[in-house]
Amino acid sequence: MDIFPTNDFTLLAVILSFPLIGAFVNGVFGKRLGKEAVTLMALSAIGVPFLASVATFSKLLDIRAVQHAAGAGSADHVEQGARLYWHAWDWLDLAWTGGETTLSVAFSVDGLSGIMALVVTGVGFLIHVYSTSYMADDPGYHRFFSYLNLFIFSMLVLILGDSLPVLFVGWEGVGLCSYLLIGFWFQDDANAAAGKKAFLVNRIGDFGLLVAMALLLRYTGSLSWEGIEANSGNLPNQILKVWQMPEVLAFSFLPDWLLLNEPTIATLIGLCLFLGCAGKSAQLPLYVWLPDAMAGPTPVSALIHAATMVTAGVYLVCRLSFLFVLSPATMFTIAMTGALTAVFAATIAFVQNDIKKVLAYSTVSQLGYMFLGVGVGAFTAGFFHVLTHAFFKACLFLGAGSVIHTMHSRIHDTDSSQDGRNMGGLRAYMPVTCVTFFVSCLAIAGVFPLSGFFSKDAILIGALTNTVSSSGGVHDAFVWPEWAGSVLFGMGLIGAVMTAFYMARLYIMIFEGDFKGWSIVAGWKEPEGHDHHDDHGDGDEPIDGPAPHESPNAMTAPLLVLAALAAVSGLLSAHDLGTHWLDHWLDPVFANALGNVVTDAEAGSMVPYIASAATFAGLGGAYFVYVMRGGDPARELAEKVPALHELIYDKWRIDELYDELFVATLETLAEVSIFLDKWVVDGIIARASAGVVAGAGSVLRLFQVGRVQAYAAAMVIGSVAFAGFFLLPHARVQLNGDLSNGQYELVASPGLGYQYSWDLDGDGEFAEDDFADKNTANIRLNTGKTVEVGLKVRNAFGLIRTVTIPLTRPDPSADETETAGVQGRATGQLADIEGRQR
Amino acid sequence: MNALRDAGIEMIPYLIAFVVGYLMPWRKEWFERFAVGSVAALSVAFVLGLWPDKAVEVAETRPEEWGHLLNLIVFLPLIAAIAVVFLPRQSPKLLKQFTMVVLGVDFLASLALLGVPMSEGWHFQYVTEWVPSLGIRYHVAIDGISVWLVLLSTLSTPIALHVSFGSIKKRTKELCFAFLMLHGAMMGAFVSLDLFLFFVFWELMLVPMILIIGIWGGVEKIKASYKFFLYTMAGSMMMLAAILYMAWVFHSIEGYWTFDYLALKRLVLPEDAAFWCFAGFALAFLIKVPMFPFHTWLPDAHVQAPTGGSIILAAVLLKLGTYGYIRFCMGMFEGPAWEASATLAGVAVAGGIFYGALCAWKQSDIKRLVAYSSVAHLGFVMLGLFSGTHAGVSGAIVQMINHGISTGALFLLVGVIYDRRHTRQIADFGGLAKVMPVYTALFVLVTMASVGVPGTNGFVGEFMVIMGTMVSDSLGRHATPAAVGASFGVILAALYMLSMVQRVFFGPLNNPKNEKLTDINSRELVAVAPLVALIFVFGLFPNILLSRMNDSVGATVRHLAEGRIAYEAHAGATTAKLRPKRGGPWEAGHPSPPQVADVAVALNAGADK
Repeated sequence: MDIFPTNDFTLLAVILSFPLIGAFVNGVFGKRLGKEAVTLMALSAIGVPFLASVATFSKLLDIRAVQHAAGAGSADHVEQGARLYWHAWDWLDLAWTGGETTLSVAFSVDGLSGIMALVVTGVGFLIHVYSTSYMADDPGYHRFFSYLNLFIFSMLVLILGDSLPVLFVGWEGVGLCSYLLIGFWFQDDANAAAGKKAFLVNRIGDFGLLVAMALLLRYTGSLSWEGIEANSGNLPNQILKVWQMPEVLAFSFLPDWLLLNEPTIATLIGLCLFLGCAGKSAQLPLYVWLPDAMAGPTPVSALIHAATMVTAGVYLVCRLSFLFVLSPATMFTIAMTGALTAVFAATIAFVQNDIKKVLAYSTVSQLGYMFLGVGVGAFTAGFFHVLTHAFFKACLFLGAGSVIHTMHSRIHDTDSSQDGRNMGGLRAYMPVTCVTFFVSCLAIAGVFPLSGFFSKDAILIGALTNTVSSSGGVHDAFVWPEWAGSVLFGMGLIGAVMTAFYMARLYIMIFEGDFKGWSIVAGWKEPEGHDHHDDHGDGDEPIDGPAPHESPNAMTAPLLVLAALAAVSGLLSAHDLGTHWLDHWLDPVFANALGNVVTDAEAGSMVPYIASAATFAGLGGAYFVYVMRGGDPARELAEKVPALHELIYDKWRIDELYDELFVATLETLAEVSIFLDKWVVDGIIARASAGVVAGAGSVLRLFQVGRVQAYAAAMVIGSVAFAGFFLLPHARVQLNGDLSNGQYELVASPGLGYQYSWDLDGDGEFAEDDFADKNTANIRLNTGKTVEVGLKVRNAFGLIRTVTIPLTRPDPSADETETAGVQGRATGQLADIEGRQR
Repeated sequence: MNALRDAGIEMIPYLIAFVVGYLMPWRKEWFERFAVGSVAALSVAFVLGLWPDKAVEVAETRPEEWGHLLNLIVFLPLIAAIAVVFLPRQSPKLLKQFTMVVLGVDFLASLALLGVPMSEGWHFQYVTEWVPSLGIRYHVAIDGISVWLVLLSTLSTPIALHVSFGSIKKRTKELCFAFLMLHGAMMGAFVSLDLFLFFVFWELMLVPMILIIGIWGGVEKIKASYKFFLYTMAGSMMMLAAILYMAWVFHSIEGYWTFDYLALKRLVLPEDAAFWCFAGFALAFLIKVPMFPFHTWLPDAHVQAPTGGSIILAAVLLKLGTYGYIRFCMGMFEGPAWEASATLAGVAVAGGIFYGALCAWKQSDIKRLVAYSSVAHLGFVMLGLFSGTHAGVSGAIVQMINHGISTGALFLLVGVIYDRRHTRQIADFGGLAKVMPVYTALFVLVTMASVGVPGTNGFVGEFMVIMGTMVSDSLGRHATPAAVGASFGVILAALYMLSMVQRVFFGPLNNPKNEKLTDINSRELVAVAPLVALIFVFGLFPNILLSRMNDSVGATVRHLAEGRIAYEAHAGATTAKLRPKRGGPWEAGHPSPPQVADVAVALNAGADK
């Protein structure tokens, strides 16, 4: 019996529930459980899901093997791909005039998410193990693991969710955990501010995702992966006019696609989705939160801000690849953004001294590579880089954490213990950290045959050879420019040289040369809130702290595993060595998307050699500058162009630019709003109306002063006015008509002793003295005829008033709209016709 | 033996909840733990009672609807309020216990409303003559929309009063009286289907509320209560005029007087009259909601009101505005409501979601900030209503419940530090997370619900509103900008809430006055626990709400579309007409013309001569 059937794969419930239970138990009971129990809980909360993920993956392998065997005979066999599905419960229903859809809390796993789940739980487990040692002395130990487990849960929801809203739950969940973990040491305002910044910038991306969901709902009527895929075909054929462009401002010299005036729905959805991806995956222009996020504990940087969460954007593009390729414009935007980010972030990494900052910008840059890959339609290559990057970047961050850990026990200052200028020569003291760091550096630089070589290679080949063709939609006017391939490839290559250079610089700065931490650099300050270390010296004397030492096994073991993976994982898709396992594995996932991607297979054959040359140029350059010349050329260059150096060192001052542009604008708006609220809205509605009432009161008070003569005068005037009204007759007539037969009924208002005389034939002559009590008169009119009915009203005092009432029966053959208008007037209107006195 | 075992098995979830609550490591004393455990078990009972599966089971047995249930719910607090007058002022404990027991019974009675599946039509309907000569009837009933608001009120009032007992020590008797009166009036307003009756309850709510603000409020309490009163009153008068006009028009067509909602709903007024009547009702409700530009009474009222008053105000009173808009504006003036929706949606987005959020961001007083956040949240609610789609209106109702829960909880939590420090200025705090960890955790959690993080209730409402807006027909080409604007509001929500949280809870603990602050106590914990539980329950299982309101919302949306077509077919006419009876469950209880011998007819006949 199959306990986990394909359509009700409850093993996913195990994968998801363990981290959640772990987070709850550690969060609520952690304080009294004690450290051992918290550790046990946290590790089993991630270990069990890892084992379950392995089981899931083996099940996927089985299914694929069966499919492969079934299709082995036929040449044109297309593999369906394996997919396991679990429906938990119905979340909510959305219904509107045009359709209805039920959003389920449902999860599924296929080739793509299966690998992601393995990476998240596997790397996550290693980082949990590492953290048990790294965070051992922290008073918030249980809180840390509670957040970490919650993060794993959210990340798994993100990966395994079977629809965009469920993915969104995980998407915001990881953002929330990131917020909590960046601000983990909340007593420092800067950390709390960094957490907030991460959350807000991510929210800008989430805004894009929300809009994309709304658009998808409107134009495809569904939000689950299958539903979107089934109904997305028509998206390139529809356009949405975003704004009405005045003729004068038509900007006709600009290409149409740049104006985004009439984008196809596919482009609009794609761009909104990509905004979300750019926020989560720290791409231009939303990358600014990631470097600040380094304020969190280093294992957090390794897990969330390098290996898993930040790759969620790439995952989403892969997941919805069939949707993105419907819009070449979106794909071009993604590829360009990725390439620009890769180069831009690398420039900043060149000059940073904080080793975590270097790694952070390196992450931004590598994420740019991934987007370059998926943007040009090389989805497998982009995802392959996600995989290899998870290994080597996690290893680098954990290595950096190991270094910081040992430096911190000497220096007791967060900033100084992360400053690479205080390090150097640590190879002698920390051999394991050094070796693993070295291997990972070579991997990220792309040295053959380490993993980074193959994944980066695949991306560069894709950039050079791929173009995304139009989906054939009637409104899809955008065509990839001719220069796209060479420019994207060129930028990728420049990025590769720079990556190799700054990673080598980082390695040399930490591990080679002499240890510079014996005497502390200026800027050291008295530590706060670290009571468990009291063996530091005072003031400006050299500090006689413990010598740097290798970290405990709980920290080095994960490093070794990750370094090994970083070295060999490239073999999953080493085209140069003839392995294509990952490509075959992911083929079914991207089958629908690849139809629109055109590849010029010949052009890429030289790329591996060029890329290797670039890598060695970067590595050699760093060796020349920092080892052979001891860093002098870099210093000279910085002194020659100090302004540029400062600018890059200050991260191109993008944060300041955003502060000036957006934050300041928003603040101004907020202040204007508050001013408006207090003085205009409240001023007009509350204060002014109160003033009017008070003013009217004070005016009226003037008349109420108790002067009897004034009251008497007012009374007399009033009485006369009343008497006058009653003395004079009033002729008001109500008209009830029936258009179909021309019968009109005239009803005069009643009054005291009124008598009426009618002139119904409209000749202006009244029969003498035929005043009667009857106040109604009937008249019949032929079509198109007009008659002026006269009425004399005599009241009890014998005064007479005369009125004439023009009556017209419209011609039914006349224009219809006109008829309708006349009809409106003729039927039963209260015709207030005041008499014209004759 | 079997029965015993079954009973044991049924007890398991409650026992687990009790044990989990009991083991929460926040309380030392066993009875405090016992209280927390009991609340946990009761919460589970409440949640299980809400479960749709249970409802289906009940549906098969077809329970009788007890006709007097709504009367009990409405009049129990009102009668108890009168009874409080005769209780001795000298024994506040008796007063408190009496009031809490009454509100508890009311809550349990309202839970019985869930025993019936909310199928098409009115439930627990009760009709009797009140003033026969004018056709005024006592007509109460609930549907899938009002049942949730009734439950929200019966849940919030005891919580608000419980909190008030903690911080208010003077004039307990008046406090009990005011809360009971307020509660009864709110219940009445939610269940009335006679416009005259509705108006009576609507006005009756004002009096206890100004007492609560005016007696137990802050420094400028008198000014704030005046402002609250005058704003609401101004709207009410317009509504009264519209009610009277509609009753008169109905009388001139059918020849008998009635104020019944079901009867007046059938009127199709000519354009001008329909517009002005719509405006009269809408003004009353939009002031109550409150919507820009009529919102400025709200921050003043919130800041001056005591914590309990703020909770009631945010959780329930504001909902009367949104509820009134669904029931009366969308129910009786379909045409004008449809035509005005695009404009009003623009106001809701720009004036509510954006403007409210921006104002909230720069406030220095926490309570004022939360008050402005209410303006923003209710912008979402109103946007959902204006969208006129099933998804949007459902989302709006879910968001109404959510706002009641999460903003109620926020006011409660703000009250906690106000009781300790007697200030609400953000600048006076900072780094509280160090001394009040449990409180901070709860506050951050509720903040996340308010910000709309998925998994909490706040997300469900906002999500459904945005989706419903995008697919709306009534907004036409404004649907896309409105939906995009509303989505953008999600960023602003995070901006103002997280800025406040950072300044209050994180960073260094600078102010020495904050160093001795004690963490949340069991009284406060008991009060906030159900709200926190509901944040997750409704966030993860919104179907509990949606499945019960589905038919009612469907009918509302359907009637809106039908009514608008009737209105447009009637365009250009100068007299009102009466739509033929629709029949079916939604018109059960429609008044019938009185017999010829009836006094009213005789009087009218006399007048005509």
